[in-house]
Amino acid sequence: MSTVARPLPSSSRVPGWVGSLASTDHKRIGLNMGLCSLFFFLVGGLMALMMRTQLAQPATHFVSDETYNELFTMHGSTMIYLFVTPMALALGMYLVPLQIGAARIAWPRIAVSGFWVWLAGGVVMQSGWLTEEGAGRAGWFAYVPLSNSSNTPGVGQDLWTLGVLLAAVGMTLIAACLLATIASRRAPGMSVLRMPVFAWTSFVSVLMVVGSFPVLVVTMALLYAERSGAHIYVGSEGVIDYQDMFWFFGHPVVYVMFFPYLGCAAEAIAVNAHKRWFGYKAFVLSMLAFSALSMSVWSHHMFTTGGVTNQYFAFTSTMLVVPAGIEYFDMIGTLIGGALVMRVSMLFALGFFIQFLIGGLSGIFIASPVLDYQAQASYMIVAHFHYTLFAGSVFGFFAGVYHWFPKITGAFLRESIGRVHLVLLAIGTNMTFGPMFVLGEEGMTRRIAEYPQHPGWGTLNLIESIGAGIIAVAVAVFLFNVWVSLRERVPAGDDPWHGHTLEWATSSPPPRLNFERPLPPITSYAPLLDLRERAARDAGAAS
Amino acid sequence: MTAGALVFSHADETLALVVTRTEYKRLFDIYVPIAIGVFVVIVALVLFAVLRFRRRPAERAARRHENNPLEATYALVLLGVVVFLLYLTFRAEHRVDAVAAEERPQLEVNVTGAKWEWHFNYPGYGINRYSGTVGHEALVVPVDEAIRFRLVSLDVIHELWVPELRYKHDLIPGYPQAMTLTFPQRGTFSGECAEFCGLYHSRMIFTVDAVSPSEFRAWTRSEAAMAHASEPAPAGADRSLADRSRS
Repeated sequence: MSTVARPLPSSSRVPGWVGSLASTDHKRIGLNMGLCSLFFFLVGGLMALMMRTQLAQPATHFVSDETYNELFTMHGSTMIYLFVTPMALALGMYLVPLQIGAARIAWPRIAVSGFWVWLAGGVVMQSGWLTEEGAGRAGWFAYVPLSNSSNTPGVGQDLWTLGVLLAAVGMTLIAACLLATIASRRAPGMSVLRMPVFAWTSFVSVLMVVGSFPVLVVTMALLYAERSGAHIYVGSEGVIDYQDMFWFFGHPVVYVMFFPYLGCAAEAIAVNAHKRWFGYKAFVLSMLAFSALSMSVWSHHMFTTGGVTNQYFAFTSTMLVVPAGIEYFDMIGTLIGGALVMRVSMLFALGFFIQFLIGGLSGIFIASPVLDYQAQASYMIVAHFHYTLFAGSVFGFFAGVYHWFPKITGAFLRESIGRVHLVLLAIGTNMTFGPMFVLGEEGMTRRIAEYPQHPGWGTLNLIESIGAGIIAVAVAVFLFNVWVSLRERVPAGDDPWHGHTLEWATSSPPPRLNFERPLPPITSYAPLLDLRERAARDAGAAS
Repeated sequence: MTAGALVFSHADETLALVVTRTEYKRLFDIYVPIAIGVFVVIVALVLFAVLRFRRRPAERAARRHENNPLEATYALVLLGVVVFLLYLTFRAEHRVDAVAAEERPQLEVNVTGAKWEWHFNYPGYGINRYSGTVGHEALVVPVDEAIRFRLVSLDVIHELWVPELRYKHDLIPGYPQAMTLTFPQRGTFSGECAEFCGLYHSRMIFTVDAVSPSEFRAWTRSEAAMAHASEPAPAGADRSLADRSRS
């Protein structure tokens, strides 16, 4: 609410893509970061397709062992550092200021430089492909001593380390700006307990980013020093310390890659049910409990090291059942009694909840050390986290895309093409990741370029590879949908779905300072629904 | 001493007769049905809601958006489930860890992991076996005996996994650890390195031949005889392992 008159930092001062990259408008930053993340999603997906080609049969030798190791390292790194996490932050960067009625974000120049640093990190990491030794190849968590310079020599692994460091710095800056925006830029009347559900999921996510990503920055800086000749991660303590530090980031990030997509799905369900999200207060409490717990479960990645207190981490990890259960309760509470419209955004949101459930329930399973002794580092784990990140978060992401595309572009995405997209994606996802549970249970290790010819393994892997192809087709259908919908625009207007939250109370796309009309009174976490309900009540009283 | 260990391990049911595989299965058989049950209930509720409440006019949507007493009760039920699962897990883990830490085994095997091979050394018999990129010699073990594996890595983190046993453990350089395992039945099982260890990780595999105790003793005698007869390739391989760890 600054009243100082000074020229707006406007993107129009520099025309073209340079101006766009330099824009301090949160919508532009969010959109740029989202589009870059989407590009990295396609890149990471291409790597996955190459891996699935390699694994279609026990020993195809489609690529060399060396290339395969680079592929799975860069696939995981690309998806986590350059797609799911930054996309979660990009969604927040675009939507949260609108949802809390802010005209601008706090610290916009820091936000835009955060985007640049993150993007530079992505470019640096991928540039490893151009080096003689190839890209990073020590896995996305790059355990020492494998990732030191004697075991994994080469510039590519250096670039990977630097790339992760830069990406983590960039995302920390972005998250800090979002946190400051939520703290200081809420519109009058927008108390913390009136923030919309998506804004809350973003809020807890950026809290975790600010609390845990700096640890990754330090871990990577020290790894870089180690690779340059310093002795940092020395002896067995060094090995365990690295893992503790890495997973202190590496588990919270899992929830950063989950909450905002949960927020997308929740908003899509509430709006398509014509009902506000059920159990708001319990949901907020569960979010806080969830993020607190998720900062204290990290060593469940280390049950088989003999270097951690398994019982403690089994306890915190299993406790996640409680907040997760609350979310499902609230989701069903929202559906029951609603007036449901089965739009594509709704279908993706339901797909998110149902498929994520498989990831979540298998997560409770592997939170038990005795069960994890078998599952750890096997395809069971690969199945588990792909059910959370792909079958879950990516479906939540698409729910958000179909829900907010009209707000961002002013045009609808095609519903009919969207249904094809959804069906193909659901079939492909379950074909790809379902059989992995069986393979892992039967003893297939992750990160192997070839596997033994045990009975059934070739068939199950072939099903997975075909599924991956179907996913690729589904993504192509989505891109086609975007292309058609932008080319032959069906104008959506400002509030096509009868939204609940403030972003629907402005034009589509929103103007530079978000709101040109006065904001409606902010009476709850669903202010527009309040307005409609009050109007209906008044009409009822008058008649 | 050997007889004592035998008596001990067969008499104390909570220790040597506890097999990792059985513990895993017992927990699996509780966790998985619960998970499937929860999945079915939630999918059924979603389907019910979708079929029952779709295509209604927006005005008919319920206004009720909170039921905190119900939610709190539900959270307590969830907490009960957590306590139940943790109770089972801690009990099973106590047994598995107690067995893994059992220090009066009937057989000791030194396991050395190095890129990308396994070296199994039987100190009581002077036998060495190698598997991975160097060859495919099986790890021969007697069934129903507590076997102490001493785990050492020479370079990066490796991980000993015999899926049939439902148990694996890391080999961390500079951090020698040991675990006691029991093979409950005869047969040939696959074993592998589970932790990614670099270029030929996928080839760091071995097989386990679990044989009867008498067959095992006979095997150790014939191996010892062979070792005396011809001075061996294993010594050469042994040197290569040691060389690589120094470089």
